[in-house]
Amino acid sequence: MPQFFLNKRLIILLVSIIILVSLIGFSLRERDSVTWPEQFLKDMTGWVQNIVAGPTQYIAGFFENVQDLQNTYEENKELKSRLDKLAFLEAEVQLLEKDNAELREILEKEDSLTDYEPIQATVIGRNPLRWEEKLTINKGTRDGIEANMAVITANGLIGKVKSAQTFTSTIQLVSSKDPTNRISAVVQDGEKKEETFGLIEGYDEKTKRLLMTKIPYDAKVEKGQMVVTSGYGGVFPKGLPIGKVVEVTPAEYGLTQTAYIEPNADLYDIQHVMVTKLNSINPEIQEELEELNEEEES
Amino acid sequence: MRKYLLPLLFIFLFVIESTFALMVAPTEMFANERWLIPHFLLGAIMLLVIFGSRKLGLLYAFIFGLLFDIVYTEIIGINLFLFPVVTYIVYQLMKILQNNLIVTTIITLFGVALMELGSYGVNYIISITTMGFSDFIFMRFIPTLILNLIFIVIVIFPLKKYFERYVERLSL
Repeated sequence: MPQFFLNKRLIILLVSIIILVSLIGFSLRERDSVTWPEQFLKDMTGWVQNIVAGPTQYIAGFFENVQDLQNTYEENKELKSRLDKLAFLEAEVQLLEKDNAELREILEKEDSLTDYEPIQATVIGRNPLRWEEKLTINKGTRDGIEANMAVITANGLIGKVKSAQTFTSTIQLVSSKDPTNRISAVVQDGEKKEETFGLIEGYDEKTKRLLMTKIPYDAKVEKGQMVVTSGYGGVFPKGLPIGKVVEVTPAEYGLTQTAYIEPNADLYDIQHVMVTKLNSINPEIQEELEELNEEEES
Repeated sequence: MRKYLLPLLFIFLFVIESTFALMVAPTEMFANERWLIPHFLLGAIMLLVIFGSRKLGLLYAFIFGLLFDIVYTEIIGINLFLFPVVTYIVYQLMKILQNNLIVTTIITLFGVALMELGSYGVNYIISITTMGFSDFIFMRFIPTLILNLIFIVIVIFPLKKYFERYVERLSL
């Protein structure tokens, strides 16, 4: 390329770099919603993705079934042993639920942070470049999905809704390394009934572990303890399982601790998800909102 | 109908990349995690600019770069910039090199490598990724090149025939 750096081309290159930087800056700032041309293009792609994803999932499902057949005997044995325990658990759950409802009635508290309405959805696409882990699902605002709702599979939390279009939505996984991707979480101590708060932010690809930061330095977090969502962010329900603590280390300046968490849900092989629609918002936030309203009125 | 086959082919490749990412999870191979990133769309665009016409290739690179950013990455600018630049560099290289299938395969693979390095660089700067460079090379770069080499070898001959005929028909 002998004439590559002629004046005209150099200028085009420089101008396009300037445009590139400003465009990246534009899209990196926190946006509440994407613009309508973006929404339209995403929905159109979602429509094509739906067509393509159907047959491919059918074929992939066939191969999976063949593989499953090989392990059927072993699985059956294990499932039977679990079935015995299930009857007891069911009876216990029913009793507890009844208890809970009665106690709530006494307290005159109807909604709780744990109540949510699941919206079933199928994953139809994934960001092929994988720098940011993002999924596309086949449900959108038409089905009641809004930005920032928590997304779970049967095993636990996998992420949140980044943006919702009319027919499709984009999900950001917890493993995504966006600096604004944080989740308020709690480490549960089963015996002492103590709760330790922290933030889930960051992911280590090599060990496949989530990082939980901002744990107080004097909190006693141990290996094997369960981590669930705290519900104090206001949009996530309380008590969605995230994972188990694997390792605890002091953070950089020793003021806080960092825990490494093995996620419960498989963050790679995801086909069906549930989007959680919260029935009530955090009572503390609600109170604050009411106070603000009163102040405005007076 | 034949006129719309080319855009339809590229839209299909565009969508199939996300379906591929959905179906093929990073797998354990040779005692380490390997990420296979499909660059089928870019591969086909580079072949279009080599065998078809320069104008058409750059136009498709621009349109699908923008579409890629809007739909998949949600950060507008990275692929919008990288797609046309990589396509242009490949076009310029092919002008001074021999135009046979082996050279074309190598140059197209070089384009994919440029794309991967470029997108790693930009994503590292804006701290979307914190992956170290050696991790990037062994976990992502080399497996990705192998995957895309297989893709290019499979499609290069049929696409060459198709693009050449398409451009011929356009100029008639």
